[in-house]
Amino acid sequence: MPQFFMNKRLIILLVSIIVLVALIGFSIRERSKLSWPEQFVKDTTGWVQSLVSKPTNYVAGFFENLQDLTNTYEENKELKSRIENLASLEAQVQELKNDNKELRDVLGEKKTLRDYEPLPATVIGRNPDRWHEMIIIDKGKLNGVEKNMAVVTATGLIGKVKSVTQFSSTVQLLSSMDPKNRISAIVQGKTNVYGLVEGYDSEKKLLQVKAIPSGAEIEKGQTVITSGLGDVFPKGLMIGKVVEVKQDQYGLNLTALVKPGADFYDIKTVIVTKRVMAQPVDTEASAGKEEEK
Amino acid sequence: MKKFLLPLLFLCLFILESLFVQYVPSDLFGHNKIIAPHFLFTALLFLTIFVGRKPGIIYAAIFGLLFDIVYIEIIGIYLFLFPFVAYLASKILNILQNNFLVAMVITIVGNALLEIGAYEMDHLIHVTDIDFLTYLNLRFYPTLILNAIFVMIAGYPLKRLFEKHIEAIRAE
Repeated sequence: MPQFFMNKRLIILLVSIIVLVALIGFSIRERSKLSWPEQFVKDTTGWVQSLVSKPTNYVAGFFENLQDLTNTYEENKELKSRIENLASLEAQVQELKNDNKELRDVLGEKKTLRDYEPLPATVIGRNPDRWHEMIIIDKGKLNGVEKNMAVVTATGLIGKVKSVTQFSSTVQLLSSMDPKNRISAIVQGKTNVYGLVEGYDSEKKLLQVKAIPSGAEIEKGQTVITSGLGDVFPKGLMIGKVVEVKQDQYGLNLTALVKPGADFYDIKTVIVTKRVMAQPVDTEASAGKEEEK
Repeated sequence: MKKFLLPLLFLCLFILESLFVQYVPSDLFGHNKIIAPHFLFTALLFLTIFVGRKPGIIYAAIFGLLFDIVYIEIIGIYLFLFPFVAYLASKILNILQNNFLVAMVITIVGNALLEIGAYEMDHLIHVTDIDFLTYLNLRFYPTLILNAIFVMIAGYPLKRLFEKHIEAIRAE
């Protein structure tokens, strides 16, 4: 049917679908960095966004303060009850810290997986589309942010840096579904149990920690932290608390449902963590990965 | 000055969407509901309806690309969906008569099409794995209600703005 191919609109539609598939294919693969036009556009919009976000932050902060004032009395009561324990706890922590330092000096190990340089940043944007849960922060390559760094708030881990441009970077939240986004974690108990944070239940708003050996004893309320193994994440960042434990699909491993410590919705300032201890032989490891594919 | 009015308006809405999800509490329509604003797209559809198909589709493509690069980092989803739905809307408009009420209905239907299109695409590339029924309850209805409210509030000012824009172009 020659008429079929003469139809201009149909041709345009077909060509645009081909271009669409090619573009999605280009951008969905694992990229070490964004192409320069993308970086340029992101930096420009990032600049505009940071201009806008400062005054809005201020206004939002004002209303939040007002809200805080209304329940000051209740909070004060609760805080007073907590503060009684604080003094003794502080002394204890100080003592343990000194002990730890001395023992480390004896061993001759100065750096640990725990140490990181904190880099505070302000959130200037968030993905309105809500499928890919991402936020944009106002610190970029020039401030020392690198890909895959862990990002935390005061209450816990929220995600990792997905891409970096000169003046801003994008953080992928733990609540976004991405099979490539796995984080090694420890469930703290009498014996530490290792697992992988993998996936998010958007209905229940719980994180899933998978690949836990089936014999492991895990109870409700145990704390989950990052393990610092194999990644650029430092050790000991709070992830959340265990809510439920269940068998996985095949009955070989356990899956723990974890209530995240951080709130993924109300994020204003974050801290990007730069691990002090270097990643072991970065170039060789990544080169090996390429060959495997 | 008149030339920069439209891009500036769309840029403002582009940033407003981001601010909206950042500051408006997530449980606005009840616990565990996800609402996604499509303010920018609503304005783009109004542009298509009141100014014309050609500028509508061109602006839709440009801002779709911008949206993909800045927020999604997967180029192609909204670059394709924005102009495509704008084109469909202009086609439907040819059949129906052009009045304000029809324009509002078309805009809401367009928003629904965009939502479902985005869901199908994201499902295809495994960004999400929730099934369609869950998606409808969790996301589709709340999002549609939010955007219908936006259409009702901003519809008339947008219409006036675009009509003035046409007059200004004709006068030149």
